[in-house]
Amino acid sequence: MDSILRAAGMYVALMLLFRVAGRRSLSDLTTFDFVLLLIIGEATQQALLGDDFSFINAMLVIATLIVLDVGLSLAKLNSRPLARLLDGHATLVVEHGRFLHQRMRRARLTEDDILESARDSQGLERVEQIKFAVVERNGKISIIPQE
Amino acid sequence: MDNDELSSRHHPVEENMRMQQRVWRFERLGWYALVVIVSLGLAGLFGNGPLSDGRSISADGRVQVDYQRISRSGTQDNLRISVRGTPGTPVTVELDGGFFRHVSIQTLQPEPQVSRSRGQALLFELGTSEDGVATLYLTLHSESVGRLKGVVRSGPASAAAFSTFFFP
Repeated sequence: MDSILRAAGMYVALMLLFRVAGRRSLSDLTTFDFVLLLIIGEATQQALLGDDFSFINAMLVIATLIVLDVGLSLAKLNSRPLARLLDGHATLVVEHGRFLHQRMRRARLTEDDILESARDSQGLERVEQIKFAVVERNGKISIIPQE
Repeated sequence: MDNDELSSRHHPVEENMRMQQRVWRFERLGWYALVVIVSLGLAGLFGNGPLSDGRSISADGRVQVDYQRISRSGTQDNLRISVRGTPGTPVTVELDGGFFRHVSIQTLQPEPQVSRSRGQALLFELGTSEDGVATLYLTLHSESVGRLKGVVRSGPASAAAFSTFFFP
């Protein structure tokens, strides 16, 4: 029983923590981010399994996590406000070749981040060539070039 | 934020800036909360720090227990018990209370001369040093959650009570 409670508690705690971390943290993984995620995974695993390494315990933990995850996505399908609350919105950060600096600051984005995405995805060199840049819900920056 | 940036755009994506601002505020407040939690963790609110080190002394000063006020279920803790007696004469130490029934004693140093049980309590007889003090070092492991109380007695008059809170 306690492994199910532990898995559920960990699910909620991790969801809160990653909401605090914001969406930028999980996209565009640098090597360091990747190592950090591995460490987080390792720390989580210890707390989830405790010192019970039995097959049944592992299956219970996995089943609990999947039940919660699928349940949550079903709930999101039925409730748009819940989906908005959990996944957030896409946010514009460049509009008609102009940086929206205050929004970028809140989203912890620099001009370099946006220009890097512009070069990477569209081969653009200057901000004037960008019509819109949007921070998507998963933290990626989408670039729509000027016609 | 100036009003232009604050207003929601409808093209190319549907925005809800009020909601987005709430999300940003939540991220910022959450970050402060994490800083506070980490600082409290450093101070020992979750065990192993200045806030959690405790010492309980019996009314007559003979029994002294150094324990952790706060600990976590599944970790190992140290407990130090020292008892003042007469030099050369063994002293008896009685470990009683829910604490000792729910944690398992992993190591016990030094080995007591006599160890037996009385009711639900554990009874040890320890040799004393030249200054008449006997010290017992215990390593404990707990799987329970919540507050557990323990009492260390040496004779009817000297009792040092303590309690430890175990986080999950």
